[in-house]
Amino acid sequence: MKAVLRLAVLSAWSRRLTLGLTLIAIALAVTLLLAVERIRGDARQSFTQSVSGVDLVVGARTGGVQLMLYAVFHSGTASNNIGWESYRAIASHPAVDWALPLSLGDSHRGFAVLGTSADYFDRFRYGEREALHWRDGKAFTGVFEAVLGSEVARGLGYRLGDSITLSHGLAERGPEHGDKPFRVTGILAPTGTPVDRTVHVSLESITALHLDWVGGAPLPGVNIPAEFVAKFDLRPKEITAALVGLKQRGDAFRMQRFINQYRGEPLLAVLPGVALDELWQTVAMVERSLLAISALVVLIGLTGLAATLLAELNERRRELAILRALGAGPRDIFLMLTAEGVLVTAAGALLGVLLVTAGSGLAAPWLLERFGVVLAMRLPGGAELALIVAVIATGLLASLVPGWRAWRMSLADGLTPRN
Amino acid sequence: MTALRITDLVFRWPRQARNCLEIPQLELAAGERVFLHGPSGSGKSSLLGLLGGVAVPQSGAIELLGTNITQLGSSTRDRFRADHIGFLFQQFNLLPWLSALDNVTLPCTFSTRRRERTGDSPHAEAERLLGHLDLGPDTWRKPAGELSVGQQQRVAAARALIGRPEILIADEPTSALDAERQQIFIDLLLQESAAVGATLVFVSHDRRLAGHFDRVVALDEINRVAPELAT
Repeated sequence: MKAVLRLAVLSAWSRRLTLGLTLIAIALAVTLLLAVERIRGDARQSFTQSVSGVDLVVGARTGGVQLMLYAVFHSGTASNNIGWESYRAIASHPAVDWALPLSLGDSHRGFAVLGTSADYFDRFRYGEREALHWRDGKAFTGVFEAVLGSEVARGLGYRLGDSITLSHGLAERGPEHGDKPFRVTGILAPTGTPVDRTVHVSLESITALHLDWVGGAPLPGVNIPAEFVAKFDLRPKEITAALVGLKQRGDAFRMQRFINQYRGEPLLAVLPGVALDELWQTVAMVERSLLAISALVVLIGLTGLAATLLAELNERRRELAILRALGAGPRDIFLMLTAEGVLVTAAGALLGVLLVTAGSGLAAPWLLERFGVVLAMRLPGGAELALIVAVIATGLLASLVPGWRAWRMSLADGLTPRN
Repeated sequence: MTALRITDLVFRWPRQARNCLEIPQLELAAGERVFLHGPSGSGKSSLLGLLGGVAVPQSGAIELLGTNITQLGSSTRDRFRADHIGFLFQQFNLLPWLSALDNVTLPCTFSTRRRERTGDSPHAEAERLLGHLDLGPDTWRKPAGELSVGQQQRVAAARALIGRPEILIADEPTSALDAERQQIFIDLLLQESAAVGATLVFVSHDRRLAGHFDRVVALDEINRVAPELAT
């Protein structure tokens, strides 16, 4: 049997061009399949890791998924803000343990700027109730001070004390708040969440930036220099959203009802877990379709393999007859052909794994920047491994066809092939 | 000692209405070198398939070296063929993607017996045989597909001879060679089969080649099926 397998390998090597192309087709199909599965899994992981210990996310009335997307993942924009009074009313509700205001809308070279309170750095939790840690410096204390997420500092090469200017809006080259630079007072340790890609400033700084702005543009002829902003009332009038922690989790639904029926303005409170489930349900259809399409592509590749092996079989009748004369049984011939197919499938799958591993290493920074998905460069495990096993098993099934045909052929031909 | 005894053999291909072979009697002695004359249509390939054990007769017995191979299971017949018979075909005998040397040692990978009969060193024996058949070391490691037809037939002869099988069956092995080389190759086969003490069955449609054999058997004379019906 070992001898037969060795012959199968040597014979396959002699036809390496045709088989190589088939192998590449399988490898690309496997790459696609694994990439879809990996991005799916890692995206879910990144999203789930991004927020922890928050009982309610509150914003203006909109979709629950949309609220989560902009409040937690800083992706997309809020359609409406919520008034400061409403926020105060929620934060001072007896059932509420803590609340963090979030004010979004500005950016710094593609990174989101988050206006919040200094509490944020003590209160915020991610992953398994993990607190934020400082890599350098400390929280902002005054106006025009900024705390950078690790990715912002690393990607743009900032250090403590550096001066940065923010842009209005989320466009990379939006109008600048060039007259009011910020000083970096702290840099956070990496978390693998959107925090890493966020510039944190105080709510007062956000107000100060927009003193001489109206409706998204500077007021013509009005310019309030940075040194004079302290003379103004910098208390925020509006925020974008709020994260709320309750004294007792059991109060979540009651509190949610209170917020949703708030009389001052239309508000929406969502439970992060419920909203994420809703998000997964929305994307599950797409994910499943993508996975089904990739599986189909793998099937096409393996059908191609079976077709190639069958097509070559006619030219190999002589080879098979020689092996028969030397003592090979029909079973050896069957084994040889099937082994060849499995070998090509396995090699294709292996190449696919290498491609997806290298590819995920290359695509990771882009995916992180554009979509906030942390893609790990790693060898396949779990579900991916199961997919690879399924591919090879299907390859085996596909190879049984040429194997069976060769078996029949060698029985009919005996020692003299009929061409 | 008989190398081959056929008794009351009847053979018909599957899904064929007529018999292809009916041979009441054929006996070859051990070490005999026989020219089997088989014009096309005389049932030559069928007989070779039966001797090799890849086909089974409808009735009758085929005894090789005292074993009735028609009574054996198919995998035992495969083993028997690997152990005791060396085959040599018209041309394209070799696996073109293996080296000359690897082609020669192939029978030893399928048969432990023939491996043992090389003194457990098929490689050295293959080199000896190739050298003996005038194939220099420069040809040994070349892919078989790159050798000339004459060289390929000598490599095939070495492969048939390795591990000293008791029976050597050659099916038109000289048809691809020119007239002069034909006789040289036949003499080589006669000499080598005598050297290993093998029974040589040389099948050809060309009676002119029969000269140096111990005995000539005409297949169309021993087969009772009319030639135009047998294929």
